[in-house]
Amino acid sequence: MTDIALLKPPSVSVALRSLLRADATVLLRNRQALLLSIVLPVAILFITGSGGGRRQVLDPGYVIGLSITYGLMASGLFGYPMAVARDRESGVFQRMRVTPVPMWTVSVSRIAVQLVLSLVMSLVVLGLGGVRHHLTFGLVNWLLVLAVSLLGAAVFLAIGQAVVGLTTTSGQVNAFSRVLFALLLVVGLIGSSGLLGDTFKTVAGWTPVGGLSYLFNAAMGGVGWGSDQVIGLVASLVYAVVFGYIGVRWFRWTVR
Amino acid sequence: MAEQVSAPILEVEGLVVRYGTRTAVDGLSLAVRRGEIFGLLGPNGAGKTSTLSAVEGLLRPAAGGVRVVGRDAALEPLAVRALIGVQLQASSFQAELTLTEILRLYAGLYGLELPAGELSARLHRAGLDDEAGKRYKQTSGGQQQRFSLLVAMLHDPPLLLLDEPTSGLDPQARRQLWAQIERARGEGGSILLTTHSMEEASAVCDRVAIIDHGTLVALGTPAELVEQHRADPRVLRAAHGDVTLEDVFIGLTGDEIRD
Repeated sequence: MTDIALLKPPSVSVALRSLLRADATVLLRNRQALLLSIVLPVAILFITGSGGGRRQVLDPGYVIGLSITYGLMASGLFGYPMAVARDRESGVFQRMRVTPVPMWTVSVSRIAVQLVLSLVMSLVVLGLGGVRHHLTFGLVNWLLVLAVSLLGAAVFLAIGQAVVGLTTTSGQVNAFSRVLFALLLVVGLIGSSGLLGDTFKTVAGWTPVGGLSYLFNAAMGGVGWGSDQVIGLVASLVYAVVFGYIGVRWFRWTVR
Repeated sequence: MAEQVSAPILEVEGLVVRYGTRTAVDGLSLAVRRGEIFGLLGPNGAGKTSTLSAVEGLLRPAAGGVRVVGRDAALEPLAVRALIGVQLQASSFQAELTLTEILRLYAGLYGLELPAGELSARLHRAGLDDEAGKRYKQTSGGQQQRFSLLVAMLHDPPLLLLDEPTSGLDPQARRQLWAQIERARGEGGSILLTTHSMEEASAVCDRVAIIDHGTLVALGTPAELVEQHRADPRVLRAAHGDVTLEDVFIGLTGDEIRD
C-alpha cells in the first residue's frame, strides 16, 4: 500500500494532460464527429461554390464563411453536447466525480479539444476555399478568420452546453440540436444573404449564424469593418456568455 | 503512535443526509478499522448510497460528518478522494478508449505517471492481459468488474469503497473478485462494500452493519449478528431451518419489497 502521506490530489497540469490525451483520442476515433465537423463543411464549400448561376448570388467569402460556420455549428450543437450527454448517461462522469480532480478540468479538457478541432476545420476550409475560388489571403486575414472561428466555436459550444444542461437524455439533446441547427441555419443564412429584404437582413445580423457570417466576410477582406460587424461581435459575445451561463448553471454531472 | 495505528480508517459520526424534506440518512455512526472488510447492508432506499456519497465527499451532510484517515470528507473532498478507491455499480468508462488507455487516464487523475510496462503488469495481475487493447464495452461483465476494481486500486488507496461489486456476476467471476478483494486487504487496505448478497457478506466481510431508513439496525460480525438475533421472533418467522444472516436481515428490516 502506498504511504498515505503521498496520496494527494494531482496537480491541475497533470490531470489536464491526462484528460486532454484521452479526449483527443476519443475525438479522433469518433468518425461521425469528424465527418460532421470537417468533411461536410468542405463538401458544402464545393457544392455551394459550383454552378454558374449560383456563383452570381453567393459571394466566395460568404460561401467560405458559411462552410466554416456550418462546421462550428456541427461541432458545437451535435459533437460536443451529444458526447457529454452520452457519457453522462453511461456513468462516465459519475466515475470521474469520485477521483481527486476538480470537475471543471473535465469540462475544460473537452472544450479545449473541440476548440482545436474547430480551428483545424477553419484552417482547412479557408485554405481549400482560397484554392477553390482563386482567392489569396494575407496573414492578417488568416489570423482574423481564426479569431472569428474561436468566437464562433465559443458561441456554438455555449449553446450546446445550454442544450445538454437543460436536458437529461442524449435523445433530447439530439432532438433539440436538430431543431436549433435548422432554425439557426435558415434564419441566419437566408436572412444575412439579403435574399428576403433589408429588414430580415438586419434581424438576421443579430442571430449567431448571421452575426458570424458578417464577421467572417470582413475577416477575409470581402467587406470593411462597419456596424454590421460590430453588431455581429456584440451579439456573439452575448450569446457565448448567456448560453454558457445557462449551460453551466443547470448542468448536472449525473442523471441517475 | 499506537493510538494512530489503531485509529479507524473511516469514521462516520452522527451522519444526517437530507434531500429536501426527505431524510435519507438519520444519525448514522460507524467506523471501519484498518485492514478490515466491512459490509454495509440494507434494503433499497435504506441510505447506503447516500452514506457512500457522503464518504466520497459528493454531498454535504445536514449534520454529523465523515472522516477518512482523519480528514473531513465535506471540507476536503479532493484530499479524501485521493485516499479512497471507488468502484461504482452503475458507472462506466469512455467507449472509444482501450483498457490500457483508460488505465493511463485514471493514473493521471490520481497523479501517477505509470510507464507502459507497469500498466501491462497491472492488467496482467487482474487477468486482463488479452483484453489490454480491447475497448471496455467489448469485455465481459466479469472482466468489466475486475477492471473497474483494478482502476479503483490503481493508486493503492488505504480505503476501498465497493458498491455491489459482484452484482450480476456468475459464481466463478464472483469468486475471482472475492479473491481480488482479499488480496487488496492482504496488501494493507480496508474495504467498505455494499451488497444485497448475504452469502457474500458472510463469506467476505469481517463485520457488517445493517441499516434501514437511514439508521443503524445492527452491527457486528456475521456470526455475532446471527447469534444475537437467533431468538428474535421476527428472525424466527423469516427463518427456514437454521438461522442465517439473511434471516436476520429480513427479520430486522422486514419482508416488504422496497423500490
